[in-house]
Amino acid sequence: MNKAMRNPLMYALFLIPTFIGIVLFFIYPVINAAFYSFTDWNGIAKTYNFNGFANYTKSMSQNAFWVSVRNNGFFILFSVFIQVPLIILFSLLIANVKKLKGLYKTAVFMPSVMSTAVIGILWGFIYEPDIGLFNNVLGLFGIDKVYWLSDRNWAMISILITNAWQWTGFYIVMVLAAIISIPKELDEAAMIDGATGFQRAMRITMPLIMPIVSVVIMLSIAGAMKAADIIIVMTKGGPAGSTEVMATYMLKHSITSFKYGYGNSIAVLIFIFTLIITALYQVLVVRRTERIEY
Amino acid sequence: MRKSLIMMLSLIFVAGALVAGCGKSNNSAEPVNTGTTNGENASQSSKVEPFELKMRHIEIGEPNKNRLARLEAVKQKTEEQVPGLTIKLDGVDSEVNRKDKLRSEMAAGNPPDIFDAFGSPDIGVYAKEGLVLDIGPILDELNLKERFINLDPWTYDGKIYGLPKGGSIEGYFYNKEYFAAKGLEVPKTLAELEALAEKVKADGKVPFAQGSKDAWVPLMTTNNLWSYYAGADFTAGFKTGESKWNDPKMVEAVSKHQEWVKKGYFKKGELGIDYNSQRNQLLTDEAVMMYDGSWASSVFNDAVDADGKSKFGFFVMPPLNEGDGFSSMVDSNNGYGFSAKVADDPQKLEAVKAFIKTFFSDEVQLQSLKEDGLLPSMILSEGDLQANAANDLIKEIILRMNELEYKWPAFDALVQAEVNTELSSGIHRVIEGVQDPQAMLDALQKVQEEANAAGE
Repeated sequence: MNKAMRNPLMYALFLIPTFIGIVLFFIYPVINAAFYSFTDWNGIAKTYNFNGFANYTKSMSQNAFWVSVRNNGFFILFSVFIQVPLIILFSLLIANVKKLKGLYKTAVFMPSVMSTAVIGILWGFIYEPDIGLFNNVLGLFGIDKVYWLSDRNWAMISILITNAWQWTGFYIVMVLAAIISIPKELDEAAMIDGATGFQRAMRITMPLIMPIVSVVIMLSIAGAMKAADIIIVMTKGGPAGSTEVMATYMLKHSITSFKYGYGNSIAVLIFIFTLIITALYQVLVVRRTERIEY
Repeated sequence: MRKSLIMMLSLIFVAGALVAGCGKSNNSAEPVNTGTTNGENASQSSKVEPFELKMRHIEIGEPNKNRLARLEAVKQKTEEQVPGLTIKLDGVDSEVNRKDKLRSEMAAGNPPDIFDAFGSPDIGVYAKEGLVLDIGPILDELNLKERFINLDPWTYDGKIYGLPKGGSIEGYFYNKEYFAAKGLEVPKTLAELEALAEKVKADGKVPFAQGSKDAWVPLMTTNNLWSYYAGADFTAGFKTGESKWNDPKMVEAVSKHQEWVKKGYFKKGELGIDYNSQRNQLLTDEAVMMYDGSWASSVFNDAVDADGKSKFGFFVMPPLNEGDGFSSMVDSNNGYGFSAKVADDPQKLEAVKAFIKTFFSDEVQLQSLKEDGLLPSMILSEGDLQANAANDLIKEIILRMNELEYKWPAFDALVQAEVNTELSSGIHRVIEGVQDPQAMLDALQKVQEEANAAGE
């Protein structure tokens, strides 16, 4: 057996099933999308014409497309600057509770196992202008009704809050696992040295969980770039396209309009934008963090 | 030797996995024996292969419970007629089916055997690519071709590719009790309708129930408005280039809609309200009128007064001037299409024939009228219509339809899909007040010209 494992062909053999999967479900679709993005294919016809960069120039000239790009940006910013700090805060709190830790973990994790459609409907009730929870609470303080999902000033933030509620628990469990895996001796030594709880969290726990936080940020960015389902359920990109993101823009302007060639160009742009953002994050943040020595 | 053996076994495993993965599934059960048999030979000859027919429908949710019950009854009858047949129903939301799921399946060349579809423009696009079944020969065989009121939306290049489930008319459902209590009358002109809306608003009620989350809902009102301002045949000219979206008459019509929004004739936040919720506004007396299709009448079946008469009535949007003639959308654009692949399988073809024979029958048409107020798509006698109109609301709808001077198909049956997409975004912007009608229609005309130039 050992001799067999020394044969490089054996490794190649074991890689074949995964390789086939990657080619079929990733490489081929990407190449296919890139190919059709240069055509006027309607998605149904057996024939099509090549139209060069016409689809790309068209999307770049559409104001609605840039609104959707901006909204994806909001998703990323909200994830990185609001959601991630909250994830870390709640993880630290849950890690340090003495009782009912399991209950807290289950409670925060629960939304991430619920379907997006259910969450969208549930939060639709919370945001309901007449009988919704939020407006009822605001009403107690004499604040006027807020049309959460039908006012362009509030619709996007409403979706961001719902999306964050759905996924925060999932990431908390990840960060929590990292916190729990930190050797207790480090914390105890700091405690003996007189470090306060805040100091221990900032100087010991935080640096040690940074690799996981980094992964959480990466996953949040990737999630933000492919966000679509929650928007479709809650606002369908409305009101007046103000909550449209690139993925919903692609659906609306390709499949529903028989413009698959154009839709593929949007898909390629999403792919490129995601690559650029994650590459930037890797170069500017992750590598710098990894160079820090403790 | 041992190494070679391991290599060989691994190769066999990988190859086996690939063959299993790529192989054709043949999970069908053993042949079923149908009918009574008196001997082994008879038993052999009457054995048929069980087979499945996939059917996509949109009859989901409480408002469509009668439709689903009728469909299930048709399914059962069809299965009884065709030995070995099992029809597998797949219910999907109408918008999702029309704009996402069915199109994706068509793109993959694998639509369900029977599917809910819209005639024009959808079925034409599919027919052009040979993805839907030409049912002309089946209709000839069943003597059904001349039985339909209008098959134009389902006809492409002279061939018929689908059948409408029913017909429909659009107009205002209104609260009769409220009208009587306040001494209000059904308006004869658009100005009277606006005066009516003002009175209702002054009374603290919402004049027009509307949930505009889906753009097609407010566009029903806009479409009726432009049929009066620009003309009933104006929409047909967009595709040919004879009509322009930014024509002053169109601007006037869309401006009227925006004016109604600004005057507060619709509930605030309508862009966040979904279609089904607009009915609740009328049912809970929050609103007094609701512009909708006659298909919505079933929702009001249970809303009757002490004498058993419907609490709600129906009138068509009135013309600009009295006596100009009423104009409304009358359509038969929603129905069933069939996959072209059915033609390759004699069993499935037989099943589709049995389904058409059972579903498109006088019995189901009259039942649809009786239970849901769904106007027939087939020619039926006036006596049958009146006898089966279950309540006075449906009778009123039939009367209003007979009074129409101008009938026209909905705009989405006459323009290209991308024009519909742009108009849908545009009407939301107009309702929200972030774009004026002229700018919206200018942008729309540009999209229309691009689509026309592309020969779509």
